Formats: sequence, C-alpha cells, structure tokens
Amino acid sequence: MKLFRDRFLVVALIIYVIFWIALAISPSDRGDWFLENLLIFISVAVLAVTYRKFQFTNLSYALILVFLVFHTIGAHYTYAKVPAGFWLQDWLHLKRNHYDRVIHFAFGFLLVYPMSELLVRSARVKETWAPWLAAAALCALSSFFEILEGIIAQIVRPDLGAAYLGTQGDIWDAQKDMGCAFIGAMLVATWLTIGRGMRPGQG
Amino acid sequence: MRQTHFVAVLAIICALVWIITAIHPVDRQAWVLENILVVIFVAALAFTHRRLQLSNSSYLFIVLFLLLHMVGAHYTYAKMPLGLWAKDFFGFSRNHFDRVAHFGFGFVLAFPVRELLLRFSGIRRGWSFWIAAGVILAVGGLFEILESMVAEIVAPGKGVDWLGGQGDEWDAQNDMLSAFLGALAMMAAVALTTCKEPRT
Repeated sequence: MKLFRDRFLVVALIIYVIFWIALAISPSDRGDWFLENLLIFISVAVLAVTYRKFQFTNLSYALILVFLVFHTIGAHYTYAKVPAGFWLQDWLHLKRNHYDRVIHFAFGFLLVYPMSELLVRSARVKETWAPWLAAAALCALSSFFEILEGIIAQIVRPDLGAAYLGTQGDIWDAQKDMGCAFIGAMLVATWLTIGRGMRPGQG
Repeated sequence: MRQTHFVAVLAIICALVWIITAIHPVDRQAWVLENILVVIFVAALAFTHRRLQLSNSSYLFIVLFLLLHMVGAHYTYAKMPLGLWAKDFFGFSRNHFDRVAHFGFGFVLAFPVRELLLRFSGIRRGWSFWIAAGVILAVGGLFEILESMVAEIVAPGKGVDWLGGQGDEWDAQNDMLSAFLGALAMMAAVALTTCKEPRT
C-alpha cells in the first residue's frame, strides 16, 4: 500500500487513533459525543477514500489532524465544559466558556492551507487566488455547519431550541461562531499572500 | 444590442426604480441602512465596468437583485405587501419576502460570481459550480455577521426582531440556507444547460 510509504502520515495517524480511543472512553455525554464524532468519521472517510487520487502534503495532513485533535477534546467534554475553556474563562474573566469559539477560529486558521492546496492542485486555481477562495470555502463551510447545527437541534430536541447547541444564552452565537472562523481564515489567507514562500501544493 | 447600450438601459431602469422607492419608504432609517448596500454595490460595478466588462446576462442578474433589494428596502422586508398577502393566503407564520430575497440573492448572483471565477482564477469547470455556490454562502454568512453587528450598534438588546426576524429563532440559519439553495439552483441550471465551455 502506498500509505505505508508515507511514514509521517502513518505515525501521525497512529498517535491520533490512540488519542481518539482514550477520549472515546466515558465522554461527558455519549449522545453528544456521537453527534460530534460524525464530523470526524465523515472527514476521515473522505480523506481515506480520496487518498489514492489526491494526497495532501504532510503539512496539510498535520494541520487537519491538529484540528481533529481539538475537536476530539471538545466532543469528549462537550464544548461548553472543556477544562481548558474554564481556565481561559478564569484567567481572562470571561462570561462563558470560550473553547467553542477557539475551535471555530482554529477551523478557519488551520484549514485554509489544506483547502488552498486542494484548490491549486485539483481545481487548478491560480496561486494568487487560491488562499482567498480557500478562505471563502471555509467561511461557506462554517456557515453550512451553523445551518446543519440548526437543523439537527430542531430534529433532536425541538423543545430546547438554540440552547441545545451550547449557545450559553447568546442570541448572536451563530454569528460569532462564523465570525471566529472568518477571522481565522482571513488571517491565514493574508499570511499566505504576503509570505509567498509558503505556497500550498509545493511544500 | 451593443453591450454599452444594454448596460445603459439597465442603469436607467435601476435609477428610475431607485427614485420611486426612495419616496416615502415605510421606515426611513431602515431604508438608509439597506441602501448602503446598494450604493457600495453600484459604486463597485461602476468602477470595475471598464476592466471587467461582465456579460450582459451577469449585468441583468445583478440588476434583478438590486431591484428586488430596493423594493424590500422601501417596504422594510417584513412589511412587503406581496409577502403579507402570501402569509394570509398560505397561512405562513411570518412574511417570507426576506427569504425570497435571500434565495434571489443566491440565485442571481451565483452567475456573475462563477463568470468572474472562470475568467480570472483559472478554476476548472467542474469546481467552478461548487466554489461559486460556496462564495455565495460565505457572503451570506458575512452578511448575517454584519447585520448582527449593526443591530447591536443601532438597537442594542432588541436582537433578532430588529433585523426582521419576526420571532424566528433560526432566522440567520434560514436566511443563509435560502441563499445557498438559490445559488445551487442557479448552478444546477447552468450546469445542465451549457455544454463544456472552453477554458478562458
């Protein structure tokens, strides 16, 4: 198999799987854990199926895995109760646990590079356009995620409404979540445009 | 018709409708806020016209969106008569004209976005449909963020209802979904009706 020749990816995957198993043991809320893990199952399945046709660079795989690690932690504790979020809350005297916002930011920040690489190598987008279209694609995915969340919440717990999503009483929760992802994505797109040394698809 | 004539006719129609809808809008403050979008949009088109020279279809689609938005701004979206009529006739819980406008936004603007992508970004045909729809969804999301910021500045505490949410807890999500579905509908229509264009 081609996969085993890529030692970096194999080692990273093994570490991630061990980490995932450890956090699959007695999560705070099994139903929530399962819903959050659908994202992991789908993204890993898509990456596995497309591996033969399209391989990302190691840097891209590393960024994707780092994001999945953050998400795995969020799924284990449920996002509103991640300890790291409580430390941040005490330290900066925040009103709520901001771990979910950090992950929304990370979503944009970490995934623009891989998306940019995909657009250059598979969609043949020009290198000057790629970071910005990648940022747009991630903003779109972030918006799409908020739509999906809304639909899931209405199906699973119609009585709870938006509170089911861990909005913690914030009426602009969806907007702020998307805003974090947008800022993260725009930062990296700017970075990739200014620092032409890091060209997606050539690293 | 030559393109400059076509664009000039569109511009005149736009200007006339804009003047008519500027007379006695239902809520002047809301009208001014909504029209910021029109001013920015028209200014951007005017400045880029020489360099971009979009196709006639694109300009027509953009003007259709502007007209829809001008009518919405005149009545404030939640009080648009046609939507109120539909609410009574079909027994909807709210005036859905804003949803129609969001759908229209996605539907008509996905076309010029895709045209720009094909001309300038070098994107492949197959990808262009998805990325154009993605750009529309991203802009829809950005618009919801901006809306919420304006709402907090102009009417703090009044929340979604000030934005014409009309009691819909999922207003932002439904707006974005409408735009995305509109974009997908247009992209499907274009994909099915055009054969493989040569790459430009």
